[in-house]
Amino acid sequence: MIPRWVTAAYLVYLASPIALLFIGSFGDLWLNTLLPTGTTVKWYLEVAADPSFRRAFTASLFVAVMTSIACVAIGLPLAYAVFRAHDPRVRAAARVLYQLPVALPALVLAFGFILVFSSDTLPWLGSIWLLIAGHIVLGLPYFLQTVVADMQRLGLRTLEDAAESLGSTAPQRFFHIVLPALRHSVLSGLIIVAALSIGEFQFSNLVCGFLNRTYPVVLLQAFYGATGFACAATVILLMLALTASVTGSISARGAARFSAAGGKR
Amino acid sequence: MSDTPSVRMENASFSYPGGKAGVFDITLDIAPGELIVCIGPSGCGKTTLLKLIAGFLPCTAGRVRLGGEDVTGASVRARQCGIVFQSYALFPHMSVWENVAYPLRVRDIALVERRRRAEAMLDMVGLGGYGERLPAALSGGQQQRVALARALVFKPRALLLDEPLSALDAATRITMRDEVRRIQKQQNIASLLITHDQDEALSLADRIAVLRDGRLVQVAPPQELYDRPADAFVASFVGRANLIDGTVAAPDAVDTPLGRIATPAHSLPVGAAVRLLVRPEKIQPAAAPDGENVFAATVLHDRFFGASREIELAVGQGMLKIDTTTREVIAHVHVPRQAVQFLPTH
Repeated sequence: MIPRWVTAAYLVYLASPIALLFIGSFGDLWLNTLLPTGTTVKWYLEVAADPSFRRAFTASLFVAVMTSIACVAIGLPLAYAVFRAHDPRVRAAARVLYQLPVALPALVLAFGFILVFSSDTLPWLGSIWLLIAGHIVLGLPYFLQTVVADMQRLGLRTLEDAAESLGSTAPQRFFHIVLPALRHSVLSGLIIVAALSIGEFQFSNLVCGFLNRTYPVVLLQAFYGATGFACAATVILLMLALTASVTGSISARGAARFSAAGGKR
Repeated sequence: MSDTPSVRMENASFSYPGGKAGVFDITLDIAPGELIVCIGPSGCGKTTLLKLIAGFLPCTAGRVRLGGEDVTGASVRARQCGIVFQSYALFPHMSVWENVAYPLRVRDIALVERRRRAEAMLDMVGLGGYGERLPAALSGGQQQRVALARALVFKPRALLLDEPLSALDAATRITMRDEVRRIQKQQNIASLLITHDQDEALSLADRIAVLRDGRLVQVAPPQELYDRPADAFVASFVGRANLIDGTVAAPDAVDTPLGRIATPAHSLPVGAAVRLLVRPEKIQPAAAPDGENVFAATVLHDRFFGASREIELAVGQGMLKIDTTTREVIAHVHVPRQAVQFLPTH
């Protein structure tokens, strides 16, 4: 079966760098051999003890959490506005607009930020808040996409009409119907945003790399040192991102099962 | 005040911006306990009519009253109409009983009491014991029952059903049709049901309201609508119809492409253009080639349905549809004089 072979080959191709990273992170010595020799956990202890890695880890978590919070605060009303827009042309235009950053290389966004925020009037380059602002731009499209799609699948508009006819006020509709019905897609959208923020390198390096370094930025420098150390540091990042995406897909599946027949007919 | 209609529309109109079809000058009463089925081709304004009563759309002219009270400017919430949507619109994150109890929850009724009333309503729609399930775990017909229970639990002033059965499969649709009728009668509530299915309209309605291009063409009980349709549109939209154009030849005869047809006595002048209606089941095969209104016929199409046949016949220069139970070969048909009706020509 050719499809099966292709799938298997692709899986090997996909998994081998990750496997090598794992092996490398536990290997004592890795010089001019195919695989490292000896077993150790010292690289993990070294990464954990390294002050610049500790700082970067905290910075990355902070940026990811702040970006997530901002994405909900901005994204939820925005998604609702796009979804409820009367004119279908407005909806289509809004969709194109908010999807635009997906097509935009982070590099281009970073250069734009550098141009604007290195001036004397707005001298904020290097600030962690500017980094968060950038990550919001990069992450919001994915959040909006997830939430708007869920609103459409649920038929949120009819649900609200029903709730209104049953006697609920606008705030009641928001807290009884809109928020609970969307909770799964908001959560999975958030996890996508967090994973994106944690792994983001290009923008973080250019806009903030010289002042507030995030985990991926520090990681690059680790590759100039011992191989085992770099591998261990990368595995930690991988674990963070993996945790985020696995939780994300589980909650997305939960959302799909939960609204399978309830929302649509 | 039992003679006060539960729902009254007085010259109600709504036109969409940009001149898109709306509804115009609708005057309609729904008595307490009455079920009116609104029927018409798609885009005729059926759903707009429902939205005007529910308050989702404002009247651009005319008034809407519920239980005698003028609600023309009132909000959807204040109107207190129970609405059943085509897509059911059950809240997916709430259990079945929480869905049914939701109208009571927003009315600040105590938890124990609203649980009790929700369970009682679920028993009434035949879903006792399903309260703890999520809507997604129910079949389409069961979801529609939940929607019905939820729309009725708060004793609404009217029940509005927007194509409630069209998302169901054929067998469930027939069961639910009878269920809707039973529940509506038991609750004795003024109801408006929107559909494009004429069988649904004929079998369910106390009165049928036929809507065309945003205007009410005729409002009448099913039998009257079928027997005395107001015009050719109603005649052909509800039931099958032979519409025959002709000119008056005598005080009791009309010349048509089929030949001269003897009609009930009328007072139209000779030479006037008229349109005749004959229902297909009134026409029967004739044994002998002669007699009043007996025509020679050639079979064009013959569809067999078990109990009956639908046959299309070439007669003279025209065509006739007949419904018959006979299995014999048809060479002549008899159009009884009393079965011929005059329709207004436009």
